[in-house]
Amino acid sequence: MITQKIVDPDYLFFQSERSKMFITGSEAVSEAIKRANVDMAIAYPITPQSESMHLVGDLYAEGYLKDYFRGENEFSVMSAVAGAAMGGVRVFTATGGPGTMRAFEMFPTWAGARLPVVCAFFTRGVNSPLTIQPDTIEMAYMLDTGIMIFHAENAQDLYDMLLKAFVIAEQPEVHIPVGVFADGFFVTHTRDEVSTAPADLKLPAYDPYSSPVPVMDMNNVPLRQMRDPFVMKSNFISYAAHASWQQEVAAAAQRARRYIDHYLGGLVESENPGADIMIVASGTAVSQGRAAIIAAAGEGIDVGLLKIKCLRPFPTEEIKALTRHCKAIIVPEFNRIGWLAREIKAVVEDNSKVVDGPRVFGGMTMPTEMILESIRRCSA
Amino acid sequence: MQAKTFIRMSGLGGQGVVTAAHILGSAAVRSGLLSTVNPFFGAEKRLAPAESYVRISSQTIHERGEVLFPDIIMIFHPHVITLGKSYTMPFFDGLQKQGKIIINAPEPLPLNESERAQLAALNARLYYISATRLALEIAGTELSSNIAMLGALIAVTDLVSQQALEEALAERFGGTKKFVASGTTAALDDVLKSKFTKLAQLMDKNIALIEQAKSSIQEHVI
Amino acid sequence: MKSDLWQISPGFEEVMPAEYRELVDNGPFGKKLGVADMGTFKELLEEHPLCAGCGLALSLRLTLIALPNPEDTIIVGATGCSSLAFPQVSVHNIHSLFGNQNAVATGLKRALSLRFPGQVKDVVVIAGDGATCDIGLEAVVHSWFRGEKLATIMLDNEAYANTGGQESGMSRIGTVLNMAPQGKKFSKVNFPEIAKAAGCAYVAVAEPSRPKRLEQAVRRAILVAREIGPAYVQLFTPCPTNYKFKPSETLSLIKKREQEGVFQTMEYLSPEAEAYIKQIEEAKR
Repeated sequence: MITQKIVDPDYLFFQSERSKMFITGSEAVSEAIKRANVDMAIAYPITPQSESMHLVGDLYAEGYLKDYFRGENEFSVMSAVAGAAMGGVRVFTATGGPGTMRAFEMFPTWAGARLPVVCAFFTRGVNSPLTIQPDTIEMAYMLDTGIMIFHAENAQDLYDMLLKAFVIAEQPEVHIPVGVFADGFFVTHTRDEVSTAPADLKLPAYDPYSSPVPVMDMNNVPLRQMRDPFVMKSNFISYAAHASWQQEVAAAAQRARRYIDHYLGGLVESENPGADIMIVASGTAVSQGRAAIIAAAGEGIDVGLLKIKCLRPFPTEEIKALTRHCKAIIVPEFNRIGWLAREIKAVVEDNSKVVDGPRVFGGMTMPTEMILESIRRCSA
Repeated sequence: MQAKTFIRMSGLGGQGVVTAAHILGSAAVRSGLLSTVNPFFGAEKRLAPAESYVRISSQTIHERGEVLFPDIIMIFHPHVITLGKSYTMPFFDGLQKQGKIIINAPEPLPLNESERAQLAALNARLYYISATRLALEIAGTELSSNIAMLGALIAVTDLVSQQALEEALAERFGGTKKFVASGTTAALDDVLKSKFTKLAQLMDKNIALIEQAKSSIQEHVI
Repeated sequence: MKSDLWQISPGFEEVMPAEYRELVDNGPFGKKLGVADMGTFKELLEEHPLCAGCGLALSLRLTLIALPNPEDTIIVGATGCSSLAFPQVSVHNIHSLFGNQNAVATGLKRALSLRFPGQVKDVVVIAGDGATCDIGLEAVVHSWFRGEKLATIMLDNEAYANTGGQESGMSRIGTVLNMAPQGKKFSKVNFPEIAKAAGCAYVAVAEPSRPKRLEQAVRRAILVAREIGPAYVQLFTPCPTNYKFKPSETLSLIKKREQEGVFQTMEYLSPEAEAYIKQIEEAKR
């Protein structure tokens, strides 16, 4: 029998004693879920996610979770997760790459149904021929599903963001899903030091009646949703209902900002923010950027970094403010299309200073030298 | 040691290339250093090419992914070179100056003129060890070849101490907690454990293997 | 459900719609009513927006009356004609997407089992033949493989009706429908046999011209799902709009099919389910 003490989230995150573990990203998922007081998890294998949900299964076997099973495919898993959340429990799952695409129809419905599901996404290429290599292209598709999107740089971020995601997602005025993204292999399969809270502490349980929409348990009102179904009607009431609900889901993400500020320390984080050349990145590209900044300093070039931790809601004002002064913005990415560069170009005041890249894709590691090349060109 | 040491390990799936990297990384952390470890990002299948990477440093390590410019290259099977069972060709691609190469082979492999010239230009140092034979002789299973390779490594570098390596080994196989590099390495761990009647026996034999490997490694003049 | 949950808070009686007040005053909750009581109480389904003569609408109405514990029943539906009626059904119900109903129900049932241990919380899936046999097949069959304690009810109108009358796996061979312009080229899927093979403890085929038999099938399915394992009921619900017969002929079409020997009702109980049902029904007498 597992005995864990329920503590205030702030205590768990900020005050409790921390100890260092040398673990992979997949193990960091398990350490987070162990402390998250999760009721149920549903698994389906896909590289590079599988190890994380194996470990969550082990947590279930040890008694940390009350229910766990393997679903039949990602679409069904995301559907079952939705059912569980509608039934009022805290639920977790993870997928990535083709799994994300297989399940895609569910993500807007999670947001629309105001389900505080937390899902980890371990990014992987989705092209043909089949690839299992890391590539963040799926994030481009996910950006406008209505779910909140955090992007972990490393295993430490993954641990912190997963735990905090439950608390942020479950705020009554937020109550929409959070996708915690981490780059497949670069984070999942990399062993690194992670500082964790004591394993005998856990988050408070989810209160299903904090939901802004009725829990489907026949233990709360209303018993009837509506007098006339607007689902497939063409009339003004129907249009207005759908339009206002889409806005409300978007507004819920905006209302999450103050919780993201509090728990994650902001939607962005910066290093050497006054520099003329700024690297703006998320995920593993941030780490490669950090290495490039050190290499550039060795050549006498001053470079700053803006790490985007939260992509939805998007830190528009933060990016504007932190890049206003600089001459060049370099956006290194692990995908072909450059979705982050697109997002940055759409919000900075002078988008001619956004350098489109460098980018690697197809699974490649981005050599530090590649970013350094861009830096050299910008400083010339 | 230098501030940062990057290591690339190439071998065949099932040889413990990934496990060796994780044990080495743990040993580095036990020695008070920082380390990151990751495998090659592929579907791991037994006897297919496998690669893993270890970064060890006294300072924060930012770089992620494959080690493209290694200081040390460890080749776990001659086929990596002779049959090209590798993701990196030639096997010493990206090796830094004064870099070291440790190859598991019963006898030196034939390198061509150009390869020898390139290695000489780098001032590279080449070592051979018959790790698989030692593993069979001393530990009684070729699954321990990777441990022999680590023994060889500590003989020619001062990256980690033997004590730290032994502690990491004990953590890997002795603990009740599953040590997860990947789903498949977890399965092979269980196979390995089944070869030793007692965990203590596993530890003792592998420690003896490390000792033997240290004294068996031989430098080959290029 | 708490017994006063559907009551109207004092002061709000006037503003609540008339049909809701009727539900409070004369609804089925906690009363153990059945099809024999039709016409004497306010039903869960408030009117419906479906076609005249719709076999599905009638079957859905009978199914809702047959629920053994409506006050603790949550229904999971799917896209299709029935999803137009569900917003007007007075029990919690979910319409998530097309074909994921048994997966949603799996998560919901497990969640409710965790939250209300030892209490009755019936999760009933009600979806069309396209949702069950075609697009949702994987989720349906896997929920049975896993032994999820769900009652799955197929409203079989032998076509995709809501989208305009396309062929489904449950259409009969030779039938000319949209997307089968030369007539369907393979047989109606024998879904009850699939249900048996996939592990359902209770399987029945029923139809709305015999309300008592339909009621018995639905009740037994839900009771078996509660205690024993998955249950499946297939209701033949002809569609006058897409099959182009008169709305008044829906029930006679069922009878005609029966006389022609191309439709028959059936019931299967696993030995465990049979013993359980026998025990319950004897206790009632």
